[in-house]
Amino acid sequence: MLARVANNLFWMGRYIERSEHIARYMHVNYFSSLDAPNELSRSRQFVLNSMLRMIGDPEAKENEVLNEEEVLFKLALDPAHPFSILSNVKYARENANSARDLISTDLYESINKFYHFVLKYPEQHFLKKGLYDFCINIIEMSSILRGRIRSTLLHDEVYAIIMLGVNLERANQLIRIINAKYHDALNAQGSYGDKFSKSFEWTTLLKCAESYDMMRRFYKKTPTSLTTLEFLILNPNCPRSMMNSFNQIYTHIRVLDNSFKYDKDSTAFLVGRVRAEYQYKYVEEIEGNIKEYIEAMLKNLADIGNKMENEFFHY
Amino acid sequence: MPKEDSTIFSSYQRDPSLFDEIYDKKGQVKEVYKTLFQLYGGHSIPDYMTLNEKARSSFFNQGITFQVYDDKQMQEKIFPFDLFPRIIDGKEWEIIEKGAIQRSRALNLFLWDIYHEKKILKQGVVPLELISSSENYLHQMMDVDPPGGIYNHISGTDIIKHNDGKYYVLEDNIRCPSGVSYVICNRTALKRALFGVFNHYETHTVTNYAENLLDLLESVKPHGADVPNTVVITPGMYNSAFYEHSYLAKTMGVELVEGRDLFVENDFVYMRTIKGPEKVDIIYRRIDDQFLDPLEFRADSSLGVPGLFSAYKKGNVTLANAPGTGVADDKAVYTYMPEIIKYYLDETPILNNVHTYHCSRPKELAYVLDHIHELVIKPVDEAGGYGISIGNRLTKKEIATVKKQIQEHPRKYVAQPIMSLSVHPTYIDETNSFEQRHVDLRTFTILGKDKDFVLKGGLTRVALKKGNLIVNSSQGGGSKDTWVLK
Amino acid sequence: MSLEYNIVYKAENVYDNPVKEARWQFLIIPEENYNQKLEAITFKNSMEFPYEFSTNAYGFKTIRILAKAPFEAISFEASFKLLKETSNPFDFILPINQEDEYSKYQQLQFKVDHEPFLRKTPLTTLLEHHINFFEYQQDQFVFENLQALNKWVYEKIFYTPGATDVETTLDEMLEHRQGVCQDFAHLFCAISRKYGIPCRYVSGYLHQGNGYFGDSQMHAWTEAYIEDVGWVGFDPTNNLIANENHIKVAHGKDYSDCSPLKGILYSKGSNTTNHSVQVHGQQQQ
Repeated sequence: MLARVANNLFWMGRYIERSEHIARYMHVNYFSSLDAPNELSRSRQFVLNSMLRMIGDPEAKENEVLNEEEVLFKLALDPAHPFSILSNVKYARENANSARDLISTDLYESINKFYHFVLKYPEQHFLKKGLYDFCINIIEMSSILRGRIRSTLLHDEVYAIIMLGVNLERANQLIRIINAKYHDALNAQGSYGDKFSKSFEWTTLLKCAESYDMMRRFYKKTPTSLTTLEFLILNPNCPRSMMNSFNQIYTHIRVLDNSFKYDKDSTAFLVGRVRAEYQYKYVEEIEGNIKEYIEAMLKNLADIGNKMENEFFHY
Repeated sequence: MPKEDSTIFSSYQRDPSLFDEIYDKKGQVKEVYKTLFQLYGGHSIPDYMTLNEKARSSFFNQGITFQVYDDKQMQEKIFPFDLFPRIIDGKEWEIIEKGAIQRSRALNLFLWDIYHEKKILKQGVVPLELISSSENYLHQMMDVDPPGGIYNHISGTDIIKHNDGKYYVLEDNIRCPSGVSYVICNRTALKRALFGVFNHYETHTVTNYAENLLDLLESVKPHGADVPNTVVITPGMYNSAFYEHSYLAKTMGVELVEGRDLFVENDFVYMRTIKGPEKVDIIYRRIDDQFLDPLEFRADSSLGVPGLFSAYKKGNVTLANAPGTGVADDKAVYTYMPEIIKYYLDETPILNNVHTYHCSRPKELAYVLDHIHELVIKPVDEAGGYGISIGNRLTKKEIATVKKQIQEHPRKYVAQPIMSLSVHPTYIDETNSFEQRHVDLRTFTILGKDKDFVLKGGLTRVALKKGNLIVNSSQGGGSKDTWVLK
Repeated sequence: MSLEYNIVYKAENVYDNPVKEARWQFLIIPEENYNQKLEAITFKNSMEFPYEFSTNAYGFKTIRILAKAPFEAISFEASFKLLKETSNPFDFILPINQEDEYSKYQQLQFKVDHEPFLRKTPLTTLLEHHINFFEYQQDQFVFENLQALNKWVYEKIFYTPGATDVETTLDEMLEHRQGVCQDFAHLFCAISRKYGIPCRYVSGYLHQGNGYFGDSQMHAWTEAYIEDVGWVGFDPTNNLIANENHIKVAHGKDYSDCSPLKGILYSKGSNTTNHSVQVHGQQQQ
């Protein structure tokens, strides 16, 4: 496979995954805040700030009042904003375009339809009453894309590259969401005697990662900081967890590089090393030091991304 | 029977001066069209409108679009598609197919000759000016033997039916003829919309183009490439024909590359893959000669591959079509096709050539200047229907301008009698009914080493504006599925 | 008798911004022909990028470099050791009849064979009124006419380094009558071709020991085709028939077929290039 095209497919995977996470974060936060147990979590400003933090936008300056419609538009339909869902879907399609000869007609058609759906979504409808409809459609369509990736592509290098993009992005988004909700939990504590460890925000965090129901099934208890982090970071059976993403990344990098010789400069080696580290970690180590761990995990992912780029996409 | 006034054919008006493809000389619907005419006639207008809309969205969802820039905003448009197919019966097709192969073979021999001994020029059969004043004649190709001896692997021949009922060739496109992907997409779209109609006809498939293309390309592989590695090279995804490039790469199962994906080392061509360099043997190129290699042609080109030409000259890679093939696609060469066919094949042309007046010859120039109102004036070196003037449509003022242009650069223009393209019922959105529209036919011929292939079908292009004779998509043309019957 | 030459070609490129990737092709190696014999080539570049020898579309030997590491400046140095036979450029017999001779140039077969070097190119095109400055004498031999043309061009233009560049047309150059060796050669080609005498542009090195015009860079002259004799070199910059001081590298329709350095860069911003050429010769027995 051409190095340039591999790079494009990798990013196609990332953009598809990214759109879904933004959409889910938006609607979960928005709707959970409506009847949140404490005042701060119910505050519009609090929620809007959290959304901006999640997509990496600098937060509002102190005393600046955020306009709800502006923020929602920015995240969803703003063509001028590179992090908006519209931009993400547009990039995903452009990347797919350049690799059209490698992916299935089915997959291409779905991406194309996805793009036209977002492009044509009426702005006013979205702002006034379409938030839920829009977000759910984005989530559903990205699921369709993932389904078509799995069921209509040959499970070869092309597939591995796309899945690397999907999983690396999923891990990245998860950490961003954890980071955003960790901040929210810190900010929200104390207002109604809520303790950090039992903050309502952990529930929201699980919902943002589409893991709430499964988490309840697994622990059968109200989420706390400890159980939430354990489930989302270390549980390999949770399909959205960091650990699961690392396992997937490891499987797919092995398709590209199946040599088992000792090569400490290879991407596969680095992925294996990072994976091993989390595989045998105590959640208490993380919980005590969340901030530090978030930074470390982000660095791990960035290192893997850079290594991949040099090893496979450098042309 | 549906009521006469509710069907889409009820208001079909026939202009007796035009040659209508679906009627015979007696004014009856031709035998081959009868079933189709009945089937389509059975649709009500709203019914047909729905089908049409579905076909359109099928193209849109498949991303079979081209990009148009207006008011700074980029818009995606589909190439308008007409659901009423054109039918060519087997016998008639045989003539077209033989004629297209004959022309391609003759042009290939002509190209070999003008890049080697130049006998046809030395014997004065065609004038030296055909090459000496052509910018598409590449001296770099002198004495280069293309692998398998083939220059014009892929040709697109534009054919029309005149109102005398005979086929005439208008152009041989042998640079990078495009459109073949639309032939296949049109068939797919028609099947999706109206699969039932296929049950009444035995139509040749068109989906075998890619496999034949790959097969014929591999027949002209370079020496020493046992299992040749073929690629398609494109200028990139913003090129208007990008869909076709990716379609061909995909259906042949080969890589679609851009110039920056390739490099040349020791006169071999390699592509940059995730596992390092991989040798490339055959390149179906969809970039023009001048952009192929910045070290030999346009130095400012970033579309091509530095050093590609020397690899080609060494015989280490096949380029299809060969560089320098464009010289034979000049309109001036077209006008000598009967002589060229006679000279190399000792045959008479199977398909007619339109008589051409050369403005470079004083006598013919005088005739052209006197008869502009009954001639089509064409610049020799423009593609895509640009710069064409149709004499009987010009105002006095325009005639004067055209005359002046011809007099200033006589070598740049040729003139031909106004050919009346045949018409075919075509669904028109504005009136929600079928009307007569002019059509032509682009056929696709592939030459390989000792084999050839003509796609049984072709792109029937329709001039959607009433009375318009220019069918090019860039000038608002559409297309139809074309059935060749078994 | 022969001369031994040592030729050193140097080029130095400096870039405003770092270059990520580049490819160059040098057309600087002396041609091997009946009176030039190449004995040794050395080539180096300051970045120690790998290089290879190849052949361009017109069959001349080239050196090609592929650079794949970032750099901001690079210098190249090539040196050639060459043996050049000395010969008398007037060593041929003139035909008997001027008219017969000229009529051979009018035959179709001749025109077809020599089409590339009879063609007008953008660099060898002249306005009608400029062409007519020089008049071809039907009562003289082709060779004599070419000698006259050589002298005419030499007198027409003042050799002025830096007066023109690759973009300057011949007609613009003739307005000021100042030019460099490329302009002399192009003007000669344009007029010779206009009268149906095949003429090609030659690029090479000039041994300047005798005070010839040229400026420590590559030199340009022409070769015209004389029936029954072959290609004869004319150096209009110096009003000379090309001799043992002219070391040929390549020929073509005009400069664009012969430019010594072609390259493409993947970088932004501009760059400056310096070339220099040294030619040292000594007699051999």
